[in-house]
Amino acid sequence: MTATAAELTAPAARGLDRARLIPGLAQAAVGAYALWAFGLGARTASGAKAAVGMALNPNAPGALGMQTFPAAPVAIALSLVCVVCGVARAFAPLGPAARRGLTVGYVVSFVLAFLVWASAGTSTLGGVSLPGVLNNTLIVSVPLILGALCGIICERSGVVNVAIEGQFLFGAFSSAMAATMSGSVWIGLVVGALSGALLGSLLAVLANRYHIEQVVLGVVLNLFALGLTNFLYDKLLSPKAAEFNQPPVFQAIRIPGLADIPVIGPVLFDQNILFYLTFLIIAVLQVGLFRTRWGLRTRAVGEHPRAADTVGIKVLGTRYRNVVMAGLISGLGGVWLTIGQVGSFTTNMSAGKGFIALAALIVGRWSPVGALGAALLFGFAGGLNNALAPLGTPLPGQVLSMAPYLATVFVVASLGGIVRAPAAENQPYVKD
Amino acid sequence: MKQTRFVAALAVVGLAAAACGSKPVTTTSGASAAASGGASAGNFTACMVTDTGGIDDHSFNSAAWAGMQKAQSDGKATVSFVQSATENQYTSNISSLLSKGCKLIVTVGGLMADATTASAKVHTSQDYTIVDSGSVPPNVKGLQFNTAQGAFLGGYLAAGYSKSGKVATFGGLNIAPVTVYMDGFWEGVQYYNSKHATHVQVLGWNETTRQGSFAQSFTDQNVGKQLAAGFLSQGADIVFPVAGGTGLGALAEAQQSNGAMNAIWVDTDGFTAAPQYANVLITSVLKGISDAVTKSVEDAASGNFNATAYVGTLANGGTGLAPYHNFEGKIPASLTSELTQVKQGIISGSITIKSKAQPTG
Repeated sequence: MTATAAELTAPAARGLDRARLIPGLAQAAVGAYALWAFGLGARTASGAKAAVGMALNPNAPGALGMQTFPAAPVAIALSLVCVVCGVARAFAPLGPAARRGLTVGYVVSFVLAFLVWASAGTSTLGGVSLPGVLNNTLIVSVPLILGALCGIICERSGVVNVAIEGQFLFGAFSSAMAATMSGSVWIGLVVGALSGALLGSLLAVLANRYHIEQVVLGVVLNLFALGLTNFLYDKLLSPKAAEFNQPPVFQAIRIPGLADIPVIGPVLFDQNILFYLTFLIIAVLQVGLFRTRWGLRTRAVGEHPRAADTVGIKVLGTRYRNVVMAGLISGLGGVWLTIGQVGSFTTNMSAGKGFIALAALIVGRWSPVGALGAALLFGFAGGLNNALAPLGTPLPGQVLSMAPYLATVFVVASLGGIVRAPAAENQPYVKD
Repeated sequence: MKQTRFVAALAVVGLAAAACGSKPVTTTSGASAAASGGASAGNFTACMVTDTGGIDDHSFNSAAWAGMQKAQSDGKATVSFVQSATENQYTSNISSLLSKGCKLIVTVGGLMADATTASAKVHTSQDYTIVDSGSVPPNVKGLQFNTAQGAFLGGYLAAGYSKSGKVATFGGLNIAPVTVYMDGFWEGVQYYNSKHATHVQVLGWNETTRQGSFAQSFTDQNVGKQLAAGFLSQGADIVFPVAGGTGLGALAEAQQSNGAMNAIWVDTDGFTAAPQYANVLITSVLKGISDAVTKSVEDAASGNFNATAYVGTLANGGTGLAPYHNFEGKIPASLTSELTQVKQGIISGSITIKSKAQPTG
């Protein structure tokens, strides 16, 4: 063993490189700001009580009552945790897993400190409802997760899918229409997923057979989906709403026992089937991508298609199959928007969620569990405005609306490290 | 085979719509609308520009269009509409109607005031009517509605009907035609509290701080649903969405809450405008857009266009509460008779509404 190698592996040398010093110190600085603003600010001053609601519907008989506790000490403690996490990340010699743990701890403490601050003195207004915030986060996240999963499968196989937004629209539109006409949510689900796959197959053919620039292609497919659904909505769904656009919606399925757990029970175990399905798909894909033959082949095709071809993997076949299958998943995201939630379809109801799903896929580093984390973060930030506006925090609503994007920038910066896309994405495969 | 060709044709049209993505405007020609109306309309053409909510927002655009159609079925005018997909289309939509030779251009929504006024300044011989904005003599007639009065009654009713002592409201955008409702609702609740020594809370709006919940959209139903779910988890049992189509999501949440939350609809009678949610609608705060639009079109058709401002009030029937419908038996008679007194009080001026968002004409 030479001296150079010893130096390289020495904790001191690993601990002090700039890639961790800067994000670590930035985290500590933001933590210190939290200490000043949340812990020592006017809102938590003079013994103000933080109020946290513990039930989704506090008026229901037997619901848990609101909890109050002194705001300032709790906010100060949580902010200090943030500072410590930041400093530890900058200077302590830690491996990647421990650093990731620190980042998660940091984000959670920061968010909790913020919520304590926001809920201070709001007991007469019902306080911040913890299950309410969690529920909103999950509900906003589900389509983002499904969209990101679709993107992961496509990009892991080497096809860039920017058309998630369009697949949402197709899925939302056709599921609302099919469910209304058939009177069955299940038919709506199947039709919605299939129409996502339909747009996916269009993407697959144009990208793999006709070698069209995939980002441009995705944008065009989005415009196509928007135009087509707008047109059909104006001509069909809107004038004849009772026949085409008043679908039934999925009812919540209460899981006995688990749903009775306080706070998280009703949020996690009293949701509709699409919700459970989403988490099932995450688990299946996480295992599938990294632990099965299909996953290995998919990743090989996305990283080095020529090598994959040489060992006998059918590159184009894999790409076609995966992109179409991924379309089923983002179609489900569209189904969630209509018959999973509000029922009827309205024009452009995906409202940019397909693009946020793309961001979640990148922040989540092309892995299903990572995308889940990123989608939850975006969902939380997106739902924050809804949760906090009634409490009269000094933050203007417009600032809260920026939260998802600020969170993205912050997370991408502080995760540091290399975020690397599959090498062969956006490269049509042509055999020599 | 025929069906396949139909689908193919649809796809082509969809592509065409997507291709001219900068201007996805849908027009219903006066001719086809006349055919469905069945009446022989006069040769006076009145054309409407919708706001971004679209023609079937179950709210103010639909109401204005219903008023236009009434003028047509009365045989006074031939009517048509153009939809604005985004705010950037206001100006181009108005100019497209100018070149179509419309005698009266009806623009819907206070957000279109600048575009309408700008066009009116240039085309001084063209008559305009604008919903939710003031008159600009000599050629723009403003139709405004003091919906704070109707919403005051709605707030009073909500406060009296709420069991949890918390009622909620949210808006589409923080603009006067929206906040005037929220102000009235808020004041109605406060008035109920002062009369009954109760402490009913309003979530989502505070007239004194002018802070509240806004969906930032008049179309996104999912946001409306999330806002309503948030209010429910804070303990509210009545929600009053003032956000056009976005509010439909709040009704969906109320319906899925299995009776934990009910709603008051806005602009039109929700019982007929959104019948699928009739079982959760206590009442609706009405805004007499249809009647006012019909009258303004018919006046203009008979050569009596004027730019005098119209302000709908409780006194002239321009705002008010819809019938209770399904809640008929559930509202206590004492509350109904109190509401009658409050209404009289507002008309006579013994109850004053302080909202600064009220239109003055």
